[in-house]
Amino acid sequence: MTIKRSLAALGLTITTLVLAACGGGSANPLGSSAPPSGSAGGTSTPVVVGSANFTESQVLAEVYAQALSAKGLQASTKPNIGSREVYLKALEDSSIQIVPEYTGNLLLYVDKNATATTQEELASALPAALPSGLKIGKVSAAADQDVYVVTKEFSQKNNLTSLADLAKVSSSVVLGGPSELATRAYGPQGLKGVYGATLKQFKPYDSPAVKTKDLLDGKIQMGEYFTTESAIADNGFVALADPQSMILPQNVVPLMRGDVADNAQVKAALDPVQAALTTEELTALNKQVDVDRMDPNEVAAQWLKDKGLA
Amino acid sequence: MSYFSYLFDASRWAGDGGTGQLLLQHLAYTVAAVLIGAVVAIPLGILIGHTGRGGFLVIGLSNAARAIPSIGFLVLVVLLLGTGFGKTVLVLAVLALPAILTATAAGIAGADPDAVYAARALGMTGGQIVRKVEWPLAVPLVVSGLRSATLQVVATATVAAFAAGGGLGQLLISGQRSRDYGQMLAGAVLIAALAVVLDLLIGGVGLLAARRARPRSKTRTPAGVARA
Repeated sequence: MTIKRSLAALGLTITTLVLAACGGGSANPLGSSAPPSGSAGGTSTPVVVGSANFTESQVLAEVYAQALSAKGLQASTKPNIGSREVYLKALEDSSIQIVPEYTGNLLLYVDKNATATTQEELASALPAALPSGLKIGKVSAAADQDVYVVTKEFSQKNNLTSLADLAKVSSSVVLGGPSELATRAYGPQGLKGVYGATLKQFKPYDSPAVKTKDLLDGKIQMGEYFTTESAIADNGFVALADPQSMILPQNVVPLMRGDVADNAQVKAALDPVQAALTTEELTALNKQVDVDRMDPNEVAAQWLKDKGLA
Repeated sequence: MSYFSYLFDASRWAGDGGTGQLLLQHLAYTVAAVLIGAVVAIPLGILIGHTGRGGFLVIGLSNAARAIPSIGFLVLVVLLLGTGFGKTVLVLAVLALPAILTATAAGIAGADPDAVYAARALGMTGGQIVRKVEWPLAVPLVVSGLRSATLQVVATATVAAFAAGGGLGQLLISGQRSRDYGQMLAGAVLIAALAVVLDLLIGGVGLLAARRARPRSKTRTPAGVARA
């Protein structure tokens, strides 16, 4: 079962890589003709929800669009636009009006010198940092950010649930993560600088499935994942807390054109969605699309129905 | 010029995960895989070539094994058995096997029939024929089999990085992920250089071995004649 799942995850990784490669090569998929921008307060103006080129963004865009439709707005999606550079441009020229975003990375993109580190600081710093004409909606508790995990046995044996306690055992810990982690501020140097934990070794992994296998086999003691990866819950891994906020929070937030953000109907449709989303729910949604091969459209519809939002 | 800065940066060569360590890992994978491949394939090839039996099946199978996509095979092995040096070597040895096996079998089977008949007429046993006649005649082909197997393994050992096994493939993968093309180039250049060096080395050893193994040179010496 685990193998099957790992293989599925691997297949997904490869698909994602291929898709990413395709996305990079193609020209701006939005074309040059932008639809007329909606006037403030217009109730029947069509709203287009864009999304980035990965599963989670597409599912979130579907959720937003369907929640808006349920409130009587004319909403459609424009999935798989590309990277942040591309979809922010689309937002500025109004070919899309809403796009799901992540607080930490969005702030760093619009303000390279931003110093906010906690969830609250990010939420308060974002509105001022955004280009004029763009606003964020309600920040969700759901977050897709980097996280360090250990197996349940390792956690219990060493009484380890937080990075703050890592220093006690770190001399025997081999960390596995994507190769670029070695140079990230929250990578091995961050663990040393912020938590005083000097690791035995960092081992680069380029396949998440292989990393999970090695963590389960005890070849590495700590792995670096994304909070919404289903491998964490499926294998009972323990996510280590980050009390010093070394890792920038990446809470889900809708980024919108100002006139759309001020629309009461849009607010009424999206705020309950943002309130209902949790990291676990988001993980489950991703898994339905990536592992169970369901359509993002159906996954979103089912979730909204379950939550009584559509 | 800046593309080569990674390759010639001494600080990148040192330490854990440094270029020097990756190069040694790559070399270790290659040597171990070719050795294991040779230990299995050469006796098997001699048996097939000498008896003339089973060649169709074994060589057919091992040639089919060439078609196995190595990266997929490696990931399959790793997910079933776990990661580790031995498992990666196993996968690479499977890749080295066909070239050595086919070359050995062809070399033994292709030994000059007149020489083999003459040896038999002199009363040599099967084992003596293999050792004194067929093997020396087959050596150049066996060496060429080893050469092509080594080249294939050096090139393919890059997949070890995919199973967290290090090797020069790590430079390619890490470089690609962090858009450090100098790092990728360093990996590519080193893999190519390693392939050329190993090829020349085996070629040189093969030349010496072929010269020593030639039965003719022995009979030509006065001592050899006297003994006969």
